Amino acid sequence: MRRYIARRVAAFVATLFFVSALVFVVVRVLPGDPALVIIGPEGSPEAAARLREALGLNRPLLVQYTEWLARAVRGDLGVSLQYDVPVGRLIVSRLPVTGPLTVMAAVLMAATAIPLGLYAARRHRRPGDYLAMIVSQIGIAIPGFWAGLLLILLFSVHLGWVQSGGFAGWSGGLWPGVRSLLLPAIALGFFQMAVLVRATRSSVLDVLREDYVRTARAKGVSELSVLAKHTLRNALIPIVTVAGLQLGQLMAGAIVLESVFALPGLGRLALGAITARDLPVVQGVTLFVASTIVLINFAVDLLYVVLDPRIRYE
Amino acid sequence: MRHLAKLLLVSVALLLAWSPSAVLAQQNLVVQVATEPPGLDLTATPASATAAVVFYNVQEALVKVDRHGKLVPWLAEKWHTSDNKNYTFFLRHGVRFHNGREMKAADVKFVFDRAMNPETKHPAAKQYEAIRDIIVRDDYTITFALKNTNANFLLTMARQGSVIYPREAVDALKSEPIGTGPYKIGEWVRGDRIVLLKNADYYVKGLPRLDRATYRFIPDPNAALAALKAGDVDAAMFGLGPEHIPDLQKDPRFQVIIGETTNDVILSMNNSRKPFTDVRVRRAITYGINKPEVVKGAMFGFGRVLGTNVDPLNPYFVDMSGAMPYDPAKAKKLLAEAGYPNGFETVLKVAPQYYYTVRTGEVIADQLQKVGVKVKIEQIEWGQWLARVWKDADYDLTIIGHAEAWDVGNYANPKYYFRYDSPEFQKLFHESEVTVDDKARRELYVKIQKKLVEDAPVVWLYIHPRIAVTKKGLQGLWKDLPAPVFDLSEVSWVK
Repeated sequence: MRRYIARRVAAFVATLFFVSALVFVVVRVLPGDPALVIIGPEGSPEAAARLREALGLNRPLLVQYTEWLARAVRGDLGVSLQYDVPVGRLIVSRLPVTGPLTVMAAVLMAATAIPLGLYAARRHRRPGDYLAMIVSQIGIAIPGFWAGLLLILLFSVHLGWVQSGGFAGWSGGLWPGVRSLLLPAIALGFFQMAVLVRATRSSVLDVLREDYVRTARAKGVSELSVLAKHTLRNALIPIVTVAGLQLGQLMAGAIVLESVFALPGLGRLALGAITARDLPVVQGVTLFVASTIVLINFAVDLLYVVLDPRIRYE
Repeated sequence: MRHLAKLLLVSVALLLAWSPSAVLAQQNLVVQVATEPPGLDLTATPASATAAVVFYNVQEALVKVDRHGKLVPWLAEKWHTSDNKNYTFFLRHGVRFHNGREMKAADVKFVFDRAMNPETKHPAAKQYEAIRDIIVRDDYTITFALKNTNANFLLTMARQGSVIYPREAVDALKSEPIGTGPYKIGEWVRGDRIVLLKNADYYVKGLPRLDRATYRFIPDPNAALAALKAGDVDAAMFGLGPEHIPDLQKDPRFQVIIGETTNDVILSMNNSRKPFTDVRVRRAITYGINKPEVVKGAMFGFGRVLGTNVDPLNPYFVDMSGAMPYDPAKAKKLLAEAGYPNGFETVLKVAPQYYYTVRTGEVIADQLQKVGVKVKIEQIEWGQWLARVWKDADYDLTIIGHAEAWDVGNYANPKYYFRYDSPEFQKLFHESEVTVDDKARRELYVKIQKKLVEDAPVVWLYIHPRIAVTKKGLQGLWKDLPAPVFDLSEVSWVK
């Protein structure tokens, strides 16, 4: 197990190094100049040239990357060209939005998808199954931003129950914050829920056909116990794998939904930084998201051991 | 079970309906803006998103462009010049910065010395090159000695880069600027909002009328519309498109403000690239475009058709919109004369960040097709547009709005992305820069506009309208925008 963890940590570092080098090159190869974007067409090209010099963008790529890397390993991700604030601080300031949003969407996704998938498998080829599949089909077909706009129209414009966007913050207590993230979390979780329902259904269906399920039923074990103890636990490994991948998708989906709901999260930070060619921020956010996804996958791998004691990492 | 579900639904509904914002009174204003400022330092960025927050509201200049486009006294209560080369400004007494210290002539000198210092990297440093010396006469009197007569000097003093701030607060300019304005920066929650708070010590009695103004950044136009309709914002200032207007005009809850701006939307032709090097081709393109139809098709009929680069809010504006009217037959004839009897193919680069550029491009591509010019539309991202089109002039055709006022000088710069190089025009423009007499300058501006129409370096399409929608009862907003600013000083709710 120790060797396994050491291997995973080495792979983690290599992934981050690769991602950082890739983003560094891609962002700089793209046509577009941060100084020009900051100065804008109202300023003069001479002013942009002076700014480019001041930002150190005229130096060779390799020098810039090595310097950045040397600082990054010490935990210093640089300073935003746009906001003149340390990138690390910017990322931390956006986490109270994107973190809870992703978690809420994930909880909504799991809490609806797993029971619905179980139900659909249990009612295989009966109206309940078809209904669940129709719902999930709709979820897959509707893009998150569109679902977001429809939710705003219904709950904010027509019913006036929640704010149409913006983030109330956590300083006023838990509820105002949760309330401002509710609609985006639903919009974000709905699509992923649809995918997970299908994964749950097919995994549970496979297990339901196993001999030990038939044996359990023959022994007179209650249906609830058959589903919860004998079926779900054995069906969980593919479900957890899909759900783990979807967490990464949720973070990507947040980029779009944060714009629709005007939330000051990581996604909007990244989007704004790409438009403004704010390279240190693009770099910092990408690294952060990549590490989170790698860590989630790692956690999923460890979870396998808990779910199935036969799995050993040697 | 059913009762439980009902109970649950009702309690969720009740929880959702409870809102702390309902208790806020109406001396506050929440405004939607589409773009977050890239920083709040007016001496470092020329961004209009920064000006919308800071200029006029937090920081002020010696001279002001008022809502009618006139230059009026501001932090200087008057000025005097006898030779148009030495300007003496008499500062208002008792004007305090937000830190409590009184503004003095030494602050003014510091600000302009800093702007002229190349190390400051002021984006508009060129504007101050005309200044030879700045002499502080006493605490409230300061003289600017110019190298030459400069007809735009007072305008320069009224621009956003010329705001007065205390020297001790230079380091705070980027994120928490202080000035003399009617509002102070309350907080800036990056990515979400900027809050301005009333400056209770403002030197104009009775102003400002609002206690608090919040700018909320909502980039998506549909989300902006939803926020307005849901009552989450009181006004949408720079986010709604013309397609939203007909519906909102019918809604009794809102007032719609449509006004003029200085934002000229133009189709630029690369004057250094064939076939646009030939004036006949450029004229043919102009004749081949039906501008009223462009305004109808791309802007739902909002926007005034333009004939040259001088906008209607400029005192020297001459209406040239009818000078080269839509005439496809003439366009074909001119193309044939230029050696393109069957037209040609060309590429139009537009940045979808500005919605109107794509829509306008689509209408124009359709119109030019009829005279034989096949236009391929290429959408590029804003950063790329700036680098490829604006900086390197790597383009055939492009569309963008030029928001700056008094920007006809761009045509006198052969390196500007139009690549229009006319010594005759340059001479006319430079003459206008040193001519202070109003009548003589007006005549020069008439000649400038005629010369532009004749050479057709670009096609001036329309003025992008000022579109603002607010809740009923909000008063004091500017109707037209002779300067790209958002003055909140006199804004209030009808009691």
